[in-house]
Amino acid sequence: MTILNRLEQWKERGTISPAQHALLVGRVQEEPFSLFLELNILLYVGILAFILGLGWTVSTWSEQLGEVVVLVVLTTLFAACLGYCFSRAPAWSPAETPSPNLAFDYVLYLGCLVWSVELGYLEHRYELLSSQSDLYLLATAGVFFFLTYRFDNRFVLSLALTSLAAWCGLSLSRWPGQQTEEYRLYAILYSLLIATAGVTLQRRGLKPHFCTTYLNVAANVLFWALLSGIFQSQDYWVWCLALLAACGLSLAWGLPRRQFSFVAYAVLYGYIGLSASLFRLSSMRGTELLIFFFLTGTVVLVLLLFLARRFGREA
Amino acid sequence: MKAYSASDEEAIRAQALLKDWAGEGYITPAQREQMERETICTLRRTNIFLRLAAFGFTLLIIAAALGLFYLAFLERSTATTTGVFVMLFALACYAAAELAVSQAKLYRFGIEEAFAVCSVVLLCVGIFIAFDVYKGGPLLVRPKLVAPLIGSICSLWIWHRFGLPYALLGALLSAAWQTGYWVSTRTEQHIAVAAFFAIAQLSVIAMAPRYRHTYLHQKVSIAEALLWLGIYLACNLEISASHRSWLDWGGLHDEFPRPFYWSTWALIWCVPPVVILRGLRQKDKAVFAVGILSALLTLLTNKSYLGTQSNTWDPMILGALLIGVALAVRQWVSTGPGGVRYGFTAQRLSGTDKSLLDAGIAVSGLVSPHIQAPAPPAPSPEVRFGGGDSGGAGASSDF
Repeated sequence: MTILNRLEQWKERGTISPAQHALLVGRVQEEPFSLFLELNILLYVGILAFILGLGWTVSTWSEQLGEVVVLVVLTTLFAACLGYCFSRAPAWSPAETPSPNLAFDYVLYLGCLVWSVELGYLEHRYELLSSQSDLYLLATAGVFFFLTYRFDNRFVLSLALTSLAAWCGLSLSRWPGQQTEEYRLYAILYSLLIATAGVTLQRRGLKPHFCTTYLNVAANVLFWALLSGIFQSQDYWVWCLALLAACGLSLAWGLPRRQFSFVAYAVLYGYIGLSASLFRLSSMRGTELLIFFFLTGTVVLVLLLFLARRFGREA
Repeated sequence: MKAYSASDEEAIRAQALLKDWAGEGYITPAQREQMERETICTLRRTNIFLRLAAFGFTLLIIAAALGLFYLAFLERSTATTTGVFVMLFALACYAAAELAVSQAKLYRFGIEEAFAVCSVVLLCVGIFIAFDVYKGGPLLVRPKLVAPLIGSICSLWIWHRFGLPYALLGALLSAAWQTGYWVSTRTEQHIAVAAFFAIAQLSVIAMAPRYRHTYLHQKVSIAEALLWLGIYLACNLEISASHRSWLDWGGLHDEFPRPFYWSTWALIWCVPPVVILRGLRQKDKAVFAVGILSALLTLLTNKSYLGTQSNTWDPMILGALLIGVALAVRQWVSTGPGGVRYGFTAQRLSGTDKSLLDAGIAVSGLVSPHIQAPAPPAPSPEVRFGGGDSGGAGASSDF
């Protein structure tokens, strides 16, 4: 029985009203046809193309154009974007706030990207901060976080989180005698910081819908850092234990909330980490390796079937 | 001949729509519950994350089993023997896929998908190995032709039987790959591929109205979209014939005759509007998306076709154009009565659009341009500032 036949049946039985029936038949027949997703994609691709061209033009022609022209154009563009957003933004609310119109989120996103280009150009041209030039990343992250929470924009939240991550990376690269171990620790600190921030802000009711973004980024950075410890460190067994603890946390968070991305992270990273630890412990080759993969792969698959049956109906 | 019954497929489609409608507030939770009781489906499904994980681990198990079998029995065998056993393994994988569906009632679970995919891949590999002795022989027994030919046919079967859209993609790519062995020049190859896809497209378009508003509509829609994309890529020589491109189909590297070259240039301007109009007329999102994509590709490759130099501000012009078109269309439809004009609206009507947008936003953080660490002063205009490089994965200021 097709969905149209079902709708007809439900209307006749009184399960849905005639008005609902008309509405739902329209949805099935795509009447009206929504261009919402396509327009958003066009805007996003347009913004990306524009900013890539802007960065390319600035880097190639900045000397011919002159710094005054470059800075005036970039500053005007940035100010115009922010002015538009501040003038049209609805009143701030700690809950999720829909955009006032289709272009709003993208104007803000464009403004943030122009800010990035301008700041990078200033530092490249004048080297204002010289050896502490990574501080502009920290400042940028701060600005982006402010704009994220003021305007409820997930594009800018992603920029803020990656700016903060880049700052962590750059700070580390400036330390004399920098080794991977310290970078790993900073990556773990970063992931713990943003995970804590995300959960705390959610519990306080401040844009709680951002929490999943914080936790997804934190989980991936944390797992990558722990995996690198297993692959590269001498004390790989310590990192393995830490990985198992992280997997447990990820499962404990994801299963009750039916956020299966965290379950997938725990299974995938946990499997890679445990396998790598066992390889370092033993010296499996050839047939032994294949038997190991066959048996452990089967165990994990059975576990996934159990999880799917118990928790993982189609989300 | 399909693995899943029409009633089960329709029930799954109905449940997905009910979930979407309840999320948008078109029906109440109580209504949804009542309506779902009448759309019972016995198939076992799961979410995308567990599905991907199950797919990956099933592939791992199959690869390990195959490796063990090879080490245990085939290490000292001839190529023909090895090839035959790999083909038997492929048959076992196909049997496992059928069992997973018929006995375990798995639907888009990852496990049966992995078995189905492996059956085709291993069959091709087995043929390739077994027929290796004939690589210098007559055309019809050369492995480079036989393997993809059988692979195309089997992929089409998998698509038809299990409804996996990527199986169709594999069949089309395989079919395009083979044409190089049937013709003698690259020009003929492009014409052959475009003609093959066009004929297939006519069949799909002819049967599409029969499946409208049924569960097969999405399958047919994706098939039509992929075929349009194939026709476009066969016409766009700057993409499909480039020696740097991964779409290069091997074969001979002769120059294209000028009439053919300019004909394809005209086609890459004509095909996208046709596809876009087709998508809008049929209210088909997949076809519409391919139309937009092909239009973008045309804009990106036009300068290469004309042999003119790209400028650094070209991406800015393209970006401004895309933004302008999006805002103009939005403004135009929004000013209609109730925000609807000629049957189109800029409003979000489906929760699926929101989910896709949210997923895209999550990924955008990885691919967005980002500021990078300051580079040494670059006096030469050739050295790019790279305001769009690094930080995120995949971003590049090359255009």
